[in-house]
Amino acid sequence: MSEPESEPVTGSVNGSVSQPSLRAERVTVGYGTHVVLSDLSLTLPRGRFTAVIGPNGCGKSTLVRTFARTLLPRSGEVLLDGVPLGRWKPKRIAQRVALLPQSPVVPDGVTVRSLVARGRHPYHSALRQWVPGDQEAIDVSMAATGVTDLAHESLTELSGGQRQRAWIAMVLAQDTDYVLLDEPTSFLDLAHQIDVLHLCQDIRDRGRTVVAVLHDLNQAARYADHVVVMREGQVAASGMPSDVITADLVRDVFSLECEIGPDPQAGTPMVVPLARS
Amino acid sequence: MSAPQTRARTARAVPRRAGDQHRLLRITDRIAIPVGGRSLVVGSVIALLSLFLSLATLAWGDLGVGPGDLLDAARGAADTKVTFVLERLRGPRVLVAIGVGLALGLSGALFQSVTRNPLGSPDVIGLGAGAGAGATMTTLLWNGAIPTPLGAVAGAGVAIAVVHWSTGLGFASPARVIVTGIGVAAMATALTQYVVAVALRDSAEGLAAYLVGSLGTRTMQQAAIIWISLSVLVPAVGVLTHRLRLMDLGDELAEALGGRATHTRTWAIVLAVLLSAAAVAVAGPIAFVALTAPHIARRVTRAPGPNLAVAALTGALIMVAADFLAQHLPVLEGMPVGIITAGVGGVYLGYLLVQEWRKASV
Repeated sequence: MSEPESEPVTGSVNGSVSQPSLRAERVTVGYGTHVVLSDLSLTLPRGRFTAVIGPNGCGKSTLVRTFARTLLPRSGEVLLDGVPLGRWKPKRIAQRVALLPQSPVVPDGVTVRSLVARGRHPYHSALRQWVPGDQEAIDVSMAATGVTDLAHESLTELSGGQRQRAWIAMVLAQDTDYVLLDEPTSFLDLAHQIDVLHLCQDIRDRGRTVVAVLHDLNQAARYADHVVVMREGQVAASGMPSDVITADLVRDVFSLECEIGPDPQAGTPMVVPLARS
Repeated sequence: MSAPQTRARTARAVPRRAGDQHRLLRITDRIAIPVGGRSLVVGSVIALLSLFLSLATLAWGDLGVGPGDLLDAARGAADTKVTFVLERLRGPRVLVAIGVGLALGLSGALFQSVTRNPLGSPDVIGLGAGAGAGATMTTLLWNGAIPTPLGAVAGAGVAIAVVHWSTGLGFASPARVIVTGIGVAAMATALTQYVVAVALRDSAEGLAAYLVGSLGTRTMQQAAIIWISLSVLVPAVGVLTHRLRLMDLGDELAEALGGRATHTRTWAIVLAVLLSAAAVAVAGPIAFVALTAPHIARRVTRAPGPNLAVAALTGALIMVAADFLAQHLPVLEGMPVGIITAGVGGVYLGYLLVQEWRKASV
């Protein structure tokens, strides 16, 4: 039923090579005739919270999907620990890279705990659908996202903010080095947006690499350590928010005239659009 | 899926959602399969009911073969009457009924799981109608040159192939599969009606029973066909089960969790079609079992996900019950079992839907 696939030859698969890494090398990705990412190269900085920003349709979601191999590049490669993703088994990738899609399907009648438990799938097989680490990974993830008390609630009965925490708990239970979140704050009210951003920082503090597609530049600048700015399927700029987010960049990428001031709380760059003349 | 629950935690859980609680079936360190506690109880009850009804079907009436006779037969000490009933009359029929029920229940559960559509079933995508058209054409147009069951399987195969080809995406898009399937089913039904209309009325009457699905005059050979098919297809489904559990999260998340959504869906549909085709080959296109059994299973187990085992057992129970009625209820005597399954299954499904709607509107 499953065709044999070659094991990656290097990487932390045998625990031999030191540093995990995830990078895209000259990837071109598209749907049909429409090219979304063209010849894009990017290394995700390890142990950081990276925000991917850019105008609508610039390929932010496509980028994170390509890193998680739910989309296949037409040319170029994504390399995990230096080995092309195509040479990894899907479950091995899922043990290293987790992706929370923008609007995942909410399964009928599933409780929070059983949803979080699904994050353990990459460690299971047809006959062995439980491994010793499951219980702990599930408990720790639910505690980290504050959903322990909701364990036996049905997902459909939760508020938007609680539900998003449950989804994030699920990808944390995957126990991956890389946690990719596609627009985790969209559809949430402001307080819950900040809540999720703090959660992203917490996840980073536990040693994971977090990559989140965000819409709000000010939130990206304030909460992320690293920003990747995209424009028309390419990386327009990347680096520390204070280095990258400038009035020129916002004009070039977003076609918006603005002034950049310091965030009154954190001193990070804050985009203030100019008044209409 | 879930890790084992301690006794205290299970007790604290809200009882209404007990279907979500899993226990672990562990055989050494290599095999560990979570089993819903409620599913286990419900599944056992359904299996026992099926067994009881099967024994009752065998034992009822003048030709009845009681449990004592069965034990004699097992020891090879039964008289000729008992042997005749077991090997020729009621035995094959019961075996075919159980086998077909298991196959249809499992097939429907697979379909509904991967299409994420509660109406997804091999019937809906034209398998039954295709089988009917195939059976009709072989029987009436070519006058028995090809055995009717073979014609049915070929018709089912053609219908599924047309669906696969017309969607443009194979079985990857559930919505397209269902919409195309409805169209193919309508065309196949039209073809059947056309052939019946132009063919001689006499031979059409004999075919009528086959077209709704029947267990009359089954042989041990047919019992062998369905049980051998099951013995091959059920383990294959078993390999897919843990990936099927991810399908209700949507393709992208299933993919991201290493669940290979497209690959899983394609194999699930292939296996579901083969299970249905095996059932069609031995009993004709029996309506409603594949559609109803998974709904009943979900309802009685209260567990999310495909509920494959309980759906299969429920299918068997529906078939055995329908066969019991067909054989022993005077009013229904001689009626093709397909009409009864549509009655029994359809009425219960309707009852469930009304219950769901009432609950939702309160």
